[in-house]
Amino acid sequence: MKIIIKFIKPYKLLCFFTILFIIFDILGTLYIPTITANMINSGVGNKDINYIIQEGILMLVATIISSLGALVGSYLCSRLASNIGRDMRDALYKKSLKFSHFDFKQFGTGSMITRTLNDVNVIQQTAVSFIQMVIPVPIMCVSGIVMAFSIDKFMGFLLLGITIIIIISAVFITKKASIIFERLQRFLDKMNVVLRENITGVRVIRAFNKENHEKNRLKDSFQKYAESAIKANRLYAGLDSLAFFTINICIVAILYIGGNRVGAGAMEIGDITAVTEYAILILFYLIMAQMVLILMPRASICLKRIKEVLDTEPEIHDGNKKMAASNKDNKDVICFKNMTFRFADADEDTLYNLKFTCKRGQTTAIIGSTGSGKSTIAKLIMRFHDTTKGSILLNGQDLKSLSQKEIREHISYIPQTAWLFSGTIADNLRYGNEDATEGEMYHVLEVAQAGFVEELEDGLQTRVAQGGTNFSGGQKQRLAIARALIKKADMYIFDDSFSALDFKTDSNLRKALNKEIKDSAILIIAQRINTILNADQIIVLNDGKVVGIGKHDELMKNCTVYQEIAKSQMKGDIDNAKTEK
Amino acid sequence: MPKQKNNFEKIDDTKNLKKILKNKKQKNYNKDEEIEKPKNARHTLKRLVLSIKDEYRRLLIVIISIIFYTALTIIAPLYSAKIIDILWSSINTAIQNGTTFSITWEQGGIDICILLEIYLVTTILYILQKFMMTSFSERLSLKFRKQISNKLNVLPLSYFDKHKPGEILSKATNDLDKMSETIQTGLLTLFTSIGTVIGSIIMMMYFNIMFSIIFILFMIVSMALTRVFTNKTLKSAANRQQKVENLTAQVEEAYSGRIIIKSFNQEEKSIKEMSEITNEVAKATRNADFIIYAINPAIRFINRLGQVVIAILAGKALIEGRLTVGGFQAFFIYMNQAAEPLTEASYMINSLQSALASVERIYEMLDEEEITPEPEQPEVVENAKGNVEFSHIRFGYSPDKMLMEDISFKVKQGQKVAIVGNTGAGKTTLINLLMRFYDINGGEILLDGKDTKKLTRANLRSNFGMVLQDTWLFEGTVAENIAYGKPDATRKEIIEAAKMARVDFFIRTMPKGYDTVLSDDTEGISVGQRQLLTIARVMLCNPSVLILDEATSSVDTRTEIEIGKAMQALMSNRTSFVIAHRLSTIVDADLILVMKNGTIIEQGNHRELLDKNGAYAELYNSQFA
Repeated sequence: MKIIIKFIKPYKLLCFFTILFIIFDILGTLYIPTITANMINSGVGNKDINYIIQEGILMLVATIISSLGALVGSYLCSRLASNIGRDMRDALYKKSLKFSHFDFKQFGTGSMITRTLNDVNVIQQTAVSFIQMVIPVPIMCVSGIVMAFSIDKFMGFLLLGITIIIIISAVFITKKASIIFERLQRFLDKMNVVLRENITGVRVIRAFNKENHEKNRLKDSFQKYAESAIKANRLYAGLDSLAFFTINICIVAILYIGGNRVGAGAMEIGDITAVTEYAILILFYLIMAQMVLILMPRASICLKRIKEVLDTEPEIHDGNKKMAASNKDNKDVICFKNMTFRFADADEDTLYNLKFTCKRGQTTAIIGSTGSGKSTIAKLIMRFHDTTKGSILLNGQDLKSLSQKEIREHISYIPQTAWLFSGTIADNLRYGNEDATEGEMYHVLEVAQAGFVEELEDGLQTRVAQGGTNFSGGQKQRLAIARALIKKADMYIFDDSFSALDFKTDSNLRKALNKEIKDSAILIIAQRINTILNADQIIVLNDGKVVGIGKHDELMKNCTVYQEIAKSQMKGDIDNAKTEK
Repeated sequence: MPKQKNNFEKIDDTKNLKKILKNKKQKNYNKDEEIEKPKNARHTLKRLVLSIKDEYRRLLIVIISIIFYTALTIIAPLYSAKIIDILWSSINTAIQNGTTFSITWEQGGIDICILLEIYLVTTILYILQKFMMTSFSERLSLKFRKQISNKLNVLPLSYFDKHKPGEILSKATNDLDKMSETIQTGLLTLFTSIGTVIGSIIMMMYFNIMFSIIFILFMIVSMALTRVFTNKTLKSAANRQQKVENLTAQVEEAYSGRIIIKSFNQEEKSIKEMSEITNEVAKATRNADFIIYAINPAIRFINRLGQVVIAILAGKALIEGRLTVGGFQAFFIYMNQAAEPLTEASYMINSLQSALASVERIYEMLDEEEITPEPEQPEVVENAKGNVEFSHIRFGYSPDKMLMEDISFKVKQGQKVAIVGNTGAGKTTLINLLMRFYDINGGEILLDGKDTKKLTRANLRSNFGMVLQDTWLFEGTVAENIAYGKPDATRKEIIEAAKMARVDFFIRTMPKGYDTVLSDDTEGISVGQRQLLTIARVMLCNPSVLILDEATSSVDTRTEIEIGKAMQALMSNRTSFVIAHRLSTIVDADLILVMKNGTIIEQGNHRELLDKNGAYAELYNSQFA
């Protein structure tokens, strides 16, 4: 609840006017039956045509006020809700960018997308319904009952009684509804999951002859959903019927009691109309509110999910020191000092006691099997994670003392999966350097072996689809490399960026890189021995520990893990395989 | 003369409520609401009516109930007006006599009782039809869903190639939910509306023709207004949909590319871009919401305007004695009873149309061509020895474009066959044909000398164990996923298989080990680990012939070799087909098929092919430069 207040705060005035106009609507609506009653009381009694016309005009005025109130009210309400939705989305996105890699992973990309899009949407829609259908209820109930009391206390008590009964049954139904709807949602999700599995896994299912098994699973989930949906719909139908029933009973009761009261001279005949009208309005608003309240648990889950994101404290805090000017040309660009890293939720260290230095003008390579922690090293240098023990120095300064922005200004990073943004190729390259000229762009493209861009009809202006899907894996990778190269940095990190390239391109690219980058450090994370054969130092990782460090020839002599990796990739393998068979 | 407005306002308000609810639900579907019209409405409708044959009796009850319900709704106002008249004259008499009046059984009581009974019957009928339609619509959806699930199993794989999962999914969920929703509320409202409108207008005419004409004029105005609003709603909803799609694209892109955004210090720019789009969405949503919520007050305004005019005229007529008190009230009640359903009609037609379009889409899917039927008297191959022969195979994914013209090769029992070549060369296609995922256009494939077309698919596939490129896990525990092909496997067997696939250690590090629940989009399991799990799945099955389609493409080379060794032990003396892009894993194959553009350009073993110095040699040398 706190969180919604936080988002409403900037719109206090808007809120005030929304409610004000809703009140206009309600008062106008309630005044109309009062006029009708007057018309009947006096019109029939005195048979005065002027009075009827006068009351008719009054009715017209009330109608106009009420309709205007409703119109302006719904405009303001839509405005309020959409503003809140917008602010929530902006806040979520802003927050997400503050998250470290680990923070973000706690939610996951899919879930973050759902939270930003669907959850906000649900809240926004619920807000609209809430303002339009729930907020007027207390106003309507109180003014309706007060007006009934002003006519006759019996009528007042009758209305009060009915209102209380309806509210009690509403509470009961809401409780039941939340269980039913929760279950319905669960079965709907389940149905979607099973269906999706059946569609995406069609080959596996058929290969394993599991068609019947899957058919039964599907039918089971359909059946459960149908049963649950029938229950939910029955609840709606029940609510609907209850309203219908109460209204009818109410009319008869008012007719009976009201008839007696009129007979006793306590009220006038027209007042029966008025009271009946009040009763119907109160009931109508209560039932409407009920329909909205049934959906509230869903909205509150969404709200909770948004709150979770907004309340998460990013694990990484910016340091407040600036990079000292004297350090900018430090020979040791990156230095790992007894660095140990463990994920917050893990029992084991991912990386243990790393000690190495990446020097300007040198190429450092990291190799190891899947899951050995190679990519984590790159993320640590970029400060997407924070070290657990020990430290990492950038140009001699501890990463933790610097701001993330500053760190990333000095390092250019190409992640494992190449990601391009929709727009043009030039747009993507400008990510690395906003002021890059066309000449510079073509130059880095050439270095990145992405000469194919020149052959494209639109050259640098070629459109890139979302995620870069209109380029092949290798092309994407090369464009991503070009984007990183156009950025001037002290260190270039290639996180398995060469694996999508064929051997020839790989080797050409490395040659070009060596020519291009002379004054910066290069860090290559790779799986292929070929890629790193000529590195100045190779770090061999196994289960998060450094098991070898040195040049290729040295490692071939004294590092078993390296030897094994090499063996698995070298030509000689055929003979081993044969002998073992 | 009281009591006129009550009854109708009741109707007015409950209908409003339903409409608002409906609007709310419609919003979720707005996307296809606007343009959607069934292509062949009459045909689809006919088919739908025929398909609910077994529900005819139930529907008949509903229709009879609706008839009585409508009739009572039209009688009730007439009767309640009568009561007011009785009460009013009794009270007047009492006042003239200087006494007070109270309702007795004879004076008003009996009539109130009858009115109560009329209302009770109406309520019961209302509840009856509501509840009957509720279960009817859901049962109908269930029936369609079951048909879809049957269909899924007999659709050829080409259907799944052509249609996105989301598209198929939305047929089975959204489309059917929409249909169900429309049947439940729309159909019922439509039937009762028609009856009520006709009945009420007839009654109004009976009381006063001139007022009826005035009423109809106002109705035409309000219907025109509804029409205008409907068009506006559709336009603004389409606009919002467009903006939401933009936002979706932007959000997906931003979250997927967040590492890049952060690496290049582009946070501020990205936030700015995002807030521009969220602002546009806010604007579009505001307009769309406003229009939807403005309809009711606007229409109510017109209706009330009409009421004011008629009230004044009728008041005058009343005073001049041209209209009785009862007539005055009754007229008002009928006026309101007729007004609501009329304005609702255009809504109803829209949603009925789009529901029909949904049904049509489902029929389209159910009518899709199915896989060729199984042979009537199938031959059987149990525990195949593993002799496989492709003989003059012709095949194309579409009949007018052949991928393979004439493919032939022979595999002997126990041989390891490797298929190599570039992407799109037809490697996976070969496997697809062997498994009969697609039917060949010419030639024959033999397993142990028997034409695979003469076997049932189930029998054929039971001889193969297959690990696919795309790893598929379903929602279930790790153990269940591994035991997919052998549900009765013991835990010991499962662990054994996992060990052979080198994934046992990884499973143990998961929160609940073998009982950890997985799903297809579980995060935190890499592609490589998924591949190992699917390998364990096949290892447990112990098939006669093993097929590995890039099964270890995302596993690092060291682990790959270890698995290779385990696999060799398992597969000794069994035939295996291996597609691999890392040639190191297949150099020991007995037969290597080199494919290019759908044909086999070279075949032989590693040595022979290297000596040939052709395409294979080139490929091999490029990998081990």
